[in-house]
Amino acid sequence: MNRTLRISFSLRNTYRVNGILYSLKQIPLLKRILPDALYRIKGLKIFANVLSGLWEVLSVFLGKFLYFIFMVAGAAILYDKIPAERLYLHILVWLTVIGSFMNTNLFNPTRDKYYAMILMRMDAREYTLVNYTYAILKVIVGFLPFSLWFGRNAGISLWLCLILPFSVAGIKMAVAASSLWDYEKRGFVYNENRLNRYFWLFVGVMLVLAYGLPAVGIALPVNAAAVILVFFALAGTVGLGKILRFKEYRAVNQQLLGQITNQMDITAQATQAVQQQSRNSISADTEITSNRRGFEYLNELFIKRHRKILWSSSQKIAAVCLFLLLGILLAFYLRPEIKERINDLLLIFLPYFVFIMYSINRGTGFTRALFMNCDRSLLTYSFYKKPDMVLKLFRIRLREITKINLLPAIVIGGGLAALLYASGGTENPLNYAVLFVSIVCMSIFFSVHYLTIYYLLQPYNAGTEMKSGTYRLVLSATYFICFFLMQVRMPILIFGVSCIVFCALYFIAACFLIYRFAPHTFRLRS
Amino acid sequence: MNFVIEHLSKHFEKKEVLKDVSFTFESGKIYGLLGRNGAGKTTLFNCLNRDIRTDGGGFWLEENGNRREVRAEDIGYVLSAPVVPEFLTGREFLKFFMDINEKDIQDPGALDEYFEYMSIDPEDRDKLLKDYSHGMKNKMQMLVNIIAQPNILLLDEPLTSLDVVVAEEMKQLLRSLKQGRITIFSTHIMDLALDLCDEIVLLSHGELEHVDKENLDSREFKEKIIAALKEEENE
Repeated sequence: MNRTLRISFSLRNTYRVNGILYSLKQIPLLKRILPDALYRIKGLKIFANVLSGLWEVLSVFLGKFLYFIFMVAGAAILYDKIPAERLYLHILVWLTVIGSFMNTNLFNPTRDKYYAMILMRMDAREYTLVNYTYAILKVIVGFLPFSLWFGRNAGISLWLCLILPFSVAGIKMAVAASSLWDYEKRGFVYNENRLNRYFWLFVGVMLVLAYGLPAVGIALPVNAAAVILVFFALAGTVGLGKILRFKEYRAVNQQLLGQITNQMDITAQATQAVQQQSRNSISADTEITSNRRGFEYLNELFIKRHRKILWSSSQKIAAVCLFLLLGILLAFYLRPEIKERINDLLLIFLPYFVFIMYSINRGTGFTRALFMNCDRSLLTYSFYKKPDMVLKLFRIRLREITKINLLPAIVIGGGLAALLYASGGTENPLNYAVLFVSIVCMSIFFSVHYLTIYYLLQPYNAGTEMKSGTYRLVLSATYFICFFLMQVRMPILIFGVSCIVFCALYFIAACFLIYRFAPHTFRLRS
Repeated sequence: MNFVIEHLSKHFEKKEVLKDVSFTFESGKIYGLLGRNGAGKTTLFNCLNRDIRTDGGGFWLEENGNRREVRAEDIGYVLSAPVVPEFLTGREFLKFFMDINEKDIQDPGALDEYFEYMSIDPEDRDKLLKDYSHGMKNKMQMLVNIIAQPNILLLDEPLTSLDVVVAEEMKQLLRSLKQGRITIFSTHIMDLALDLCDEIVLLSHGELEHVDKENLDSREFKEKIIAALKEEENE
């Protein structure tokens, strides 16, 4: 018994520690400092062990604390028709029922169980019982302080506060026992992570009972709730008997964990899913052909066969923008008094559109599709990596990505100018031109930006995994700058002109960098 | 024509994968590159194909005593897992390749002749490559790599996952192609190496080493190779 507990502890700890070390190795700067042999380094290991130990202790209490503060006590503040004591118990009873199905431990297929019972062939019954006992004890110990604290605050009597942790554990065991019984009868293995829609419906009903009834002034009387909670605790003792007598834990776990063996290597599976998705995005339309030659031929076929993911979304965005524009124009007509307000906004809101142009840009989608379905394979051929070829294709692609993004940009830029005019105009007619041109420039900027960082950092390896921390960093920086600009208010002329100048400079810099470096950087990562 | 590698080295963090690779390959021969798992065969190929940077040393083509840089078009590199642009049909891929390399391809034939040559059926030629079987993708990759007649053909375990018929076709093809170029063929399967290759080269301790067949029969030769590869373990 002791040995099993010790082994399962150290097993869980080992993979948690390795998990922590692995994630340390993924952080861009730290990655360089840490050696490959970091799994062997004692200091790091101790550090990770301490984290892992802290987590084990924290996991006993943290979840329960959050549960009480948000789901029970916090939620209770929202109601004022029902006395705190009644409300508290009412919510707890129904949530406890949900928890008994959705948080069983016994029927949760986890990695540590897979490692222990399937890979290491540990005795399934002993492993399960030891770990289940531990989990149930964690529930009781974790619940006790908060049950006392929050319960006493809500005015619940001490004995009920003390019994509550046992009720929670009790109903869990009773439900687990009934699932085991169900297995014996029907051979059905319950999996708490794969609930069917009837279960979800059941959960929905329970939630309505917990939070909906009090809203209309109905809640369980305190005595009824107390009886139910005592019943839960008693049901637990019956359940425990069944759990201890049950013999077929290996079969149950084999079936339960068999469902996760196929998804053990999550990254590999995710990459496969991505690759499959990319493959599916290729149009099978046999009518698609091209009369061009060389790279133009390649490009035209690529764009035509990926029309769905490249052009459709840009067309949809343009259509939505057009629709919004017409809507606002209609609003001007119906409620002329809003014109002035909109006019004021338009004159200072241009920085906001950096974020909007950022969000609607298809650049990342474009470069991803390029990599997944085209460059991933062609970069293994040496002719494709010749410097003049790289640059030739870059020019063609820049033209295409700009075209795709320009459509919504023209609608937005033109639309804003039209709105400015319709809302009362401006003294300086230059504002119209700057508004339009700066929006178009923003769109071109993002197109250039995404394609440039793709060519300079080419972040994927042959297995389509993203390997470049720098690339991620640049993407996040782009986001934060755009987000920051959203807070800025500036007159059209000042912001617009600086925006146009910036875009022009960026374009020149990007072209220089590409011509200088892309022939060397546009490679598959290893 | 000779392909000369001198003092090539490459390390990843502290691990020296290629220590000091020096070797001269002669044209007209198929070299079987044998090495244990993790010996660095793929790393060597990636360095030669300039997919990764080398730490030191270099490699050249030597013709009539003159050395020159190895250019991209000198190398054909066939990977074990065939990678082809899946949004193109077989015919389109071939046409694209011929367009791009028209200067380098001497007396180009009709597209169908090439398909014929690789035994790719007419009904498959206009299918998207994403719907090709593994073997057919492999043939396409091989075709594109040999069409431009590269001086050096690198093959990284190209036959391991092919069915017996396709594998035999490929072997015949490689034999027919060996004149006038250097073919380096990496594999784990010793019988395949002995059957197909003219010379056996071992990659061990991060160095290349020629195994002389002398007068050994094939059993003795195999034992010699195994012994040489095992040596690494005992050091």
